[in-house]
Amino acid sequence: MTDATQFGAEAPKPKTSILELDKRTRKRNAAETRFRYYGMAAVAVGVIFLVVLLGTIVRNGIPAFTQTYITLNVELPAAKLDKKGNRDPAEIAKVTTFGYNGIISDALVTALKDNGVQSDMKDADLRKMLSSSAAAQIRDAVLADPSIIGTTQSFRLLASSRVDGYLKGRVTRESLARDKNLDAAHLDIVDQLQKAGVVSRSFNWSFIFGADASESRPEQAGIGVSMLGSLFMMLVVLCLSLPIGVAASIYLEEFAPKNRFTDLIEVNISNLAAVPSIVFGILGLAVFIQFVHLPQSAPLVGGLVLTLMTLPTIIISTRAALKAVPPSIRDAALGVGASKMQAVFHHVLPLAMPGILTGTIIGLAQALGETAPLLLIGMIGYIASTPPDGIISGFLSPNSAMPAQIYEWAKRADPAYYERAWGGIIILLIFLMTMNIIAIILRRRFERRW
Amino acid sequence: MYDQPALEKKLDNDTIKIAASGVQVYYGEAHAIKDVNVQIQDKTVTAFIGPSGCGKSTFLRTLNRMNDTIDICRVEGKILLDGEDIYDPRVDPVQLRAKVGMVFQKPNPFPKSIYDNVAYGPRIHGLAKNKADLDEIVEKALRRGAIWNEVKDRLHAPGTGLSGGQQQRLCIARAVATEPEVLLMDEPCSALDPIATSQVEELIDELRTNYSVVIVTHSMQQAARVSQKTAFFHLGNLVEFGDTSQIFTNPKDPRTESYITGRIG
Repeated sequence: MTDATQFGAEAPKPKTSILELDKRTRKRNAAETRFRYYGMAAVAVGVIFLVVLLGTIVRNGIPAFTQTYITLNVELPAAKLDKKGNRDPAEIAKVTTFGYNGIISDALVTALKDNGVQSDMKDADLRKMLSSSAAAQIRDAVLADPSIIGTTQSFRLLASSRVDGYLKGRVTRESLARDKNLDAAHLDIVDQLQKAGVVSRSFNWSFIFGADASESRPEQAGIGVSMLGSLFMMLVVLCLSLPIGVAASIYLEEFAPKNRFTDLIEVNISNLAAVPSIVFGILGLAVFIQFVHLPQSAPLVGGLVLTLMTLPTIIISTRAALKAVPPSIRDAALGVGASKMQAVFHHVLPLAMPGILTGTIIGLAQALGETAPLLLIGMIGYIASTPPDGIISGFLSPNSAMPAQIYEWAKRADPAYYERAWGGIIILLIFLMTMNIIAIILRRRFERRW
Repeated sequence: MYDQPALEKKLDNDTIKIAASGVQVYYGEAHAIKDVNVQIQDKTVTAFIGPSGCGKSTFLRTLNRMNDTIDICRVEGKILLDGEDIYDPRVDPVQLRAKVGMVFQKPNPFPKSIYDNVAYGPRIHGLAKNKADLDEIVEKALRRGAIWNEVKDRLHAPGTGLSGGQQQRLCIARAVATEPEVLLMDEPCSALDPIATSQVEELIDELRTNYSVVIVTHSMQQAARVSQKTAFFHLGNLVEFGDTSQIFTNPKDPRTESYITGRIG
């Protein structure tokens, strides 16, 4: 009442038109327009970064997916490989890879002659065009089937990483000037052999499915074995963190009394989600390896450590999903006489499932790309050169993991490894994208049901 | 036995189904219900009316212990269902809620098919021996919920796809499917349009032949239309309880009179 009398005597408002914008409105509109441009600029910057990032990854990583091979007809003289001529595997095995070098040189010389390539290079130098794994490859073939001794077999041998780099444009004649592994003269030969079809590039399956190789043989290295390591780790993470995480969240959200203690737990779970992953690594080292004496570098230990790291993510997203289920559904279930557990498991959990799945898959994807904790439990630095020979050894025998493998390659000096690191990143990204797509598909599926 | 509807159409209103005495409800420090004594008769519709926040919904929820789900809620006093204290430590609230069903303010069908909505209660209580049995229970419940004719061709369509009024009748059907003895309704029509409201009201009147119905409502007209007994709550007190006709025509308490004539509320 008093307000009305107090302001009642005010002068009548000046007449304004709604067709004209007044000063305040103009200012407000200008602010809104500005804000919209800020937003668009922010999105644009983000998109540019993303495009540049993906572009760089693809440009640098794609060459890793092809590899240069030299196809040679290798004569396998019995005089050198099986001196006694009795085809005894034990005897044949005595010839080391060193003994095969001469054979390879001979095959190269023959190839040059056959294709009309002139060269005055020494045999040993000529062999530098090939990967040092070539001898082992031939030896393995001979040991696997001694009957080929005395015949001439066609072998597709890996070219050395420099020849490979030359075909990919990474290595030039200038860059070889100070390289003691390969000369410009080699490249002339490669050019001619490529024309003749002896040197060729093809898709590199062994990069995807193969094992890691030593520092001097980048052309042989593959990510396959560490992929298996990652797979076994993810199995451990999934089998542990999903049930534990979901059970913990259901208990905390639906059953636990609300008191100081549960509040404390809640705060700590949120804090754990922000703990640097390397802390979990050192915890894993102390508890799982030094105290429980689990094997070092084992995917089991990696999985356990990553489980610890993933749990908070899963618990937080599961609790959010459970909270988002309207309380009326719980009331409805309790109202018809369902017990609390029935209400949760029959009604709340199915409705929360899309959120739980999304959280779990995002947690898993995070764990898949995690590198730091693996550093401390010895999965980084391990040369994953032999694939596990069974499920148990898959969990327990030392292995690497995809991000660890990428880190390992990026660390090595040879530029050919740099290319492999980028290639590894592409494979890792494909995995992550697949997981996210699965998350989206699952979420859609579940949502459609309701 | 309480389930002899056809034979005993004449109502034995004198049986006391729920007797509450000295009920106090606290939410933490707040004293929400103050010393309420009320006797709810069998096969009768009892309406709880009163202004917002007067505690009528709270009191309703104490009758099937739905308040147990609220941590800070504390109930004192005695509430007897057929002479048995429902707050006795030996009572499992789940078993109690099977006997005292509840329909909520907002229609809240499960996001499942119509059939599954109704079949859920009988399933968890093991009321059906086989599929045919369950089908029969579902049909009976949907008929009692006066929604059978509308949904019989699409029993496997989602319950959430129905209109608001249909959803609420589905919820009522779901509540009666477990064969409760008492049906609590917390403002069942507040989210419905007038046509759906009148359908639900008719339904409530029919349900009276089988159950004791307790309904909380904001609408005094609704209370007058559907109930035989009315309780008026104000600020947590039960101000007046009596025959609906008496409350609306000849209230004894001045506060009741003020409320029903529109002076407070």
